[in-house]
Amino acid sequence: MRVAGAEEQKMNADNPSREVILGRIRDALGAAPAPAPAPCAYSSIFDPIANPLERFQQECAANLMECLLSSDEASSTQHLATALSSLPAGEIFAQDDPILRRLLTSAAVAQQMRWSSEGAPAESSQATISRCEALIAQTGSIFVTAACGGRGASIVAPVHIVYATASQLVPDLETALTNATRNQTLSRGSFACVISGSSRTADIEKILVEGAHGPRRLVVIVQL
Amino acid sequence: MSAASQFLLDAGVKSADITHREIIRKGVENYWAGHMKGRQRIRDWEAARQRCQETKQEAVSNLHRYLLQFEAGVHSRGGHVFWAANSAEACEYIRALAVSRGVKTVVKSKSMVTEEIQLAPVLEREGIAVWETDLGEYIVQLRHEPPYHIVTPAMHLNRDQIAELFKKKIEPALATNDPVELVAVARRALRKAFFSAEMGISGANFIVADAGAIAISTNEGNGRLCTSVPRIHVCVTGIEKVIPRLADLAVLWPVLATSGTGQPITTYSTLISGPRQPGEADGPEEFHVVLVDNGRSELLANEEQREVLHCIRCGACLNVCPVFRHIGGHSYGTIYPGPIGSVLTPHLRGPEFDHLAYASSLCGACTSVCPVKINLHRHLLHNRRDSVEDWNVGTGVSPAQPARGVEARRPRGKFSERLGFKLWRFAMLHPGVYGFGARMGKRSLRLLYALGLRGSLLDPMRNWNRRRAPVPLPGKSFRAMWRKGLR
Repeated sequence: MRVAGAEEQKMNADNPSREVILGRIRDALGAAPAPAPAPCAYSSIFDPIANPLERFQQECAANLMECLLSSDEASSTQHLATALSSLPAGEIFAQDDPILRRLLTSAAVAQQMRWSSEGAPAESSQATISRCEALIAQTGSIFVTAACGGRGASIVAPVHIVYATASQLVPDLETALTNATRNQTLSRGSFACVISGSSRTADIEKILVEGAHGPRRLVVIVQL
Repeated sequence: MSAASQFLLDAGVKSADITHREIIRKGVENYWAGHMKGRQRIRDWEAARQRCQETKQEAVSNLHRYLLQFEAGVHSRGGHVFWAANSAEACEYIRALAVSRGVKTVVKSKSMVTEEIQLAPVLEREGIAVWETDLGEYIVQLRHEPPYHIVTPAMHLNRDQIAELFKKKIEPALATNDPVELVAVARRALRKAFFSAEMGISGANFIVADAGAIAISTNEGNGRLCTSVPRIHVCVTGIEKVIPRLADLAVLWPVLATSGTGQPITTYSTLISGPRQPGEADGPEEFHVVLVDNGRSELLANEEQREVLHCIRCGACLNVCPVFRHIGGHSYGTIYPGPIGSVLTPHLRGPEFDHLAYASSLCGACTSVCPVKINLHRHLLHNRRDSVEDWNVGTGVSPAQPARGVEARRPRGKFSERLGFKLWRFAMLHPGVYGFGARMGKRSLRLLYALGLRGSLLDPMRNWNRRRAPVPLPGKSFRAMWRKGLR
């Protein structure tokens, strides 16, 4: 017979089915199960990635994302200014981050700015700018967390611009997720997302249409 | 009408609907081309399936441990976990929550479990507006239909039908059937809902034990908005969705996407571990996870069929099933259609759905594509056996414990069926009787067809002949040919 702690007793009192379901599961499974077999190596399932940056660029193209390489901060600023200059009038939301503040100041952005420290992006935001936790070469993905300007930063506006450095590039999903486990990414924040392209749907006759509910354009500036 | 008779009727009508068959054929062909291209991207597809199977097996064999680990993680960040034994408990928890928080509008992202527990009508009875925000789900909601397919809910409609629907229900001025414009119409309509809703309801593709997080895969981004903008987020999911480790997703995510749509990975592979934390820019103030049992723990007790709980709901078995392709998703009369639905539904909803075990040619296509290697056609055979065997009178030779109440079982083979098999057995043991019967049968059929009654109510081959080109009756029987030296 298991002895429930005080907290667990309270949980069971609020939710009587909890102990019923757990009891049924324990009865169904019986004694301790056999140990799990050793999983086969990730490299035998997926091809190892020889050149992560090249692979990342290829996958970005396949995901209909724009990947812009820059040699230094000045060139990143230039990319940022170009991307923003083509936008219609309206507010721009950015993750409140010292480097992004510096870049956006030198880019001399004409639009009204809103920073993540002031809360969620407005529904009418024309673009959002954020950093990321990692870039994943295997799938051409950007890995963002709540710390990258919050949840709305990567979904609310029609354009999402990500500023990253080449040092953030990891070869594959396994590396990205193992790092996230080690860094306790989901204990320190409430959200993370592997984003692999612009928002899309194929629900009508399986025809791909971009810009369903999220960004139509996803731009990644990778500073080497 | 019983579920079985309704099924035969609907399946008969649908399989003769040429437009429907054309739409499904196109959809499935596109799927298959994309899926096979996706498989090429994975070095060893079989190893990937093997790994996914092992991961799910490990999770399901330690279900309570991993669920408790997940629960502790969610609690530590101020989230709530509610355990619901059945649909009624799950719906009541969410209804009471919505009412107590003054919720007027709910936005939903795609979740088969919310269909299973029939959540939307419960909320609508409280005067709460419920918006399905996945495009396919939104389309079938406007048509007051259940989802046709677990991944592509509006697979049975072409762009003309969808344009007509949107014109009638959303934008009377709509003058095009261009998919780009149709998506824009839905986006405009749903955008308002996203930003006025107080509650977002999502499902979960996985429950990650070590991270204490739910994982949601979406392409449109509707799942992202549902879980970012409203002030309350409720995730409704089945207890079997658990996986041990975050890193397991490094294989599960690509395999789910490849099996579901042929993509390398779904556009937004999202992880949520709690409500908005201090210092975060946005996110819901409340995070509730409703863990639904609803028959799953009983299936867990059935060792023979436990692996059915490994299902990750990718929909691959539907796409490749020749029966699904002919009768369509709605004919099944179940929430989960296709092979996985035929296996699962009798366990979730009882013997009324035993007939679905026969909605299969046992070709095994489903088993061959299943990304977690569920032996689907074998389980259909198990269900057939269970549906006719009498567990009360057995002498202990039954190979497995029945999943459902033993007392409830009675011999359920039809009298006519049992008589038929008795006569068949007799004839097979008496060649003279068999030969006489075959000759008489052939003669009467010949007479019947000469009278022009092929396919009529008198024709014992009516089910075949009424809609198909006739199969000519052979001149000589096999037995006659055998005697004349075929051997």
